[in-house]
Amino acid sequence: MTLQEVRLCGLLLREHFGEVVEKVGKHLLRSGALNLRTIINETGLPLDLVKKCLCVLVQHGACVFSSGRKGPGSPTEYLTSCNRILRILRYPRYIYTAKTLYGDTGELIIEELLQRGHMTMSSTVKTVADRLTQNMEEGRSMEYSEVSSAFSNLVETHFLQRCPPQPGAGGKDKTTAAPTDNPATPAAPAKTTLQTAESFPDCYKVPHMTLSGRGKRQLSTEEGEDQRNAKKPRLDTATHGDEGIYWQVNYERFHLHFRDQAIISAVANKLDQTSSEIVRTMLRMSEVTTSPTAHCTKPLSSNEIFRSLPSSYNIARPILDQYLTLLVDDPMEFVGKAGESGGGMYVVNLHRALANLARATLESVVQERFGSRSARIFRLLLRKRHLEQKQVEDFAMIPAKEAKDMLYTLLSENLVQLQEIPKTPDYAPSRTFYLYTVNQLPTARMLLQNCHKTVANLIERRLFETKESKRLLEKSQRIEAILASLQASGAEPEQLQEVEEMITAPEKQQLDSLKLHINKLDSAENQVDETIFLLESYITGTASST
Amino acid sequence: MAGRGRGRRMMSFSVDAVGINRGDTLPPTIQQPTPAYPAMENKPLPLAAGEEAEYMLALKQEFRGAMRSLPCFIQPAAPHRDVERYSDKYHSSEPTDSLITWTPDWRSLPRELRVARLPRRDGVSVSRSVPSGQIRQVKEKEEILLKLESLEQKEQQGSSEEEEGEEKKKQEEEEAEGEEEYDEEEFGEETDYIMSYFDNGEEFGGDSDENMDEAVY
Repeated sequence: MTLQEVRLCGLLLREHFGEVVEKVGKHLLRSGALNLRTIINETGLPLDLVKKCLCVLVQHGACVFSSGRKGPGSPTEYLTSCNRILRILRYPRYIYTAKTLYGDTGELIIEELLQRGHMTMSSTVKTVADRLTQNMEEGRSMEYSEVSSAFSNLVETHFLQRCPPQPGAGGKDKTTAAPTDNPATPAAPAKTTLQTAESFPDCYKVPHMTLSGRGKRQLSTEEGEDQRNAKKPRLDTATHGDEGIYWQVNYERFHLHFRDQAIISAVANKLDQTSSEIVRTMLRMSEVTTSPTAHCTKPLSSNEIFRSLPSSYNIARPILDQYLTLLVDDPMEFVGKAGESGGGMYVVNLHRALANLARATLESVVQERFGSRSARIFRLLLRKRHLEQKQVEDFAMIPAKEAKDMLYTLLSENLVQLQEIPKTPDYAPSRTFYLYTVNQLPTARMLLQNCHKTVANLIERRLFETKESKRLLEKSQRIEAILASLQASGAEPEQLQEVEEMITAPEKQQLDSLKLHINKLDSAENQVDETIFLLESYITGTASST
Repeated sequence: MAGRGRGRRMMSFSVDAVGINRGDTLPPTIQQPTPAYPAMENKPLPLAAGEEAEYMLALKQEFRGAMRSLPCFIQPAAPHRDVERYSDKYHSSEPTDSLITWTPDWRSLPRELRVARLPRRDGVSVSRSVPSGQIRQVKEKEEILLKLESLEQKEQQGSSEEEEGEEKKKQEEEEAEGEEEYDEEEFGEETDYIMSYFDNGEEFGGDSDENMDEAVY
């Protein structure tokens, strides 16, 4: 929970949930587990606002509550973690992935669930069907059953999961809080063990739901809408047999998918398209058999790979073997050989691939910031571990003065560390070896913190730019609204032109450049998030295995 | 420490191991903090362009916009200005939709977070689950007023029925007000004594202000 992480989480909460939630969330992040009264006292906000904020945070999974540390009688404590809030940066990527895998329906389902946090299946299906119907042509509407089948597909491939029932939740009784399918919830609330969604066997079971119909299209007349909306909450209380079963997006599954994609694209860049297809086949075959924290996939025999290759790739058997040998010999070590039976048993080394990808990221960062010769020194130190000053100059083939300069720059940026090896017990400087070295894991952590700081700076700059031009933006919005209403009521082109001329040319220029800046800052955030994902996966993978 | 040779100029680490040779100029010492925006020698690479990047950008901006209109977006109540401004009636207020009122499933939240009716956008709330002493006091006062009014009505019905309804109401209102003040005085300070009977002596000497001819010493 570094300073930069907390700052970034605060900005993300402010953009998506408002400033009040930002205040409460930041306080919880800094102070750890707190109970309600402490939060109220320390933030100085009124009771109702704090309650609302906590409801919103719990609903979106950012905050978990458990009964207090002093025993079952003490007040409930709320705990927030940075990781969940930082996922907000990755939401566009999740939605885009759902679109590529499951089409527009899948995309809208994931978007709705990300916006609302937890939802029941029936309400999700209805909302998505309505949204799809609105975008369709007149007279056509979306069947609920189509949306339900897309939902079930998402659950089968584990992209969606049920929310775990929370122990210690208020309500009628604790037994009715859980859906009836689940096994009995633990009687005493578990203080230390936080139940993950996966610890319940039914977390991927689609409930039997009675829901049939089509999406409703909203009328364009305002009065009809108001009346309909006024009656809607009263009519829509029909239950569909899945009350109390809430679904959430399974981020870990998306992360596995991203990791696989990163490995496949790295292979495609380094070798060629066919090798990447082979690796993709291997990963697809071991999707269900590999656990999320596995070091490498289960061994697959060359025969199996040959049979499962997509039919569009007609490569002969010996050529497949050659490709596999090439992959095994590659220094990036994506694929390893685990035995000789079945024509050769091959595994995909997941952790090692991630480590190599992280290493490539570090090298590219050094190259872009300090130049290619510094990058050469950095790569040299990564490979050779510990080198003296003189050896660095010799191996890197760089003149001594410049090598010294570059080394000191890298040292001052903390990318390179100095290791002392004494010859005598007193660390006399003339009798000590000074070796330069690079430690990959701490350097990756430092770069990850830099990435968080970068995104926080980007967001702040974007907010600043928007605030500066607030007046201009409001004016342009009003003019657009006027134009739209004029066009809807059928005005002459002269009137439209008159309204358009209300924005002067320099103002238009200013608006255009503002839009360009904001788009740049936003897409920069998306791109930095890709680096964050890679470094985070490497760090969690290595930290858990060592 | 290791570097303090007698009068000789020695540095704290060995010269040749780290690579500084004799006679080499050391870089100039820095005497102020490094500039906040130093000039970059290596410019960064351009952003990734392409259909995917643009689509994700659009998704991101739409998501942000959609979140602002959801009930999860909590804004505190706007602070009351001292004077009503002319522009107040032109500030756009978002239409209140049925989407705005949002009740979470209380079974999945701890009991203490329960609010009787979760309010809409602004923080103005009407929560009845907060048992504060003030509500109890108000209820007590209301009950007392009702009892006194009913007693009065019985008295008046018994005595004269010639009074018109309006006068009765006026009287009742006045009496109610008088009783309210009465009650506040009596119950406000939680004593057994009726405060209006007690004379603190503040009015003493107040009459002398009417004749300003004589000087006041």
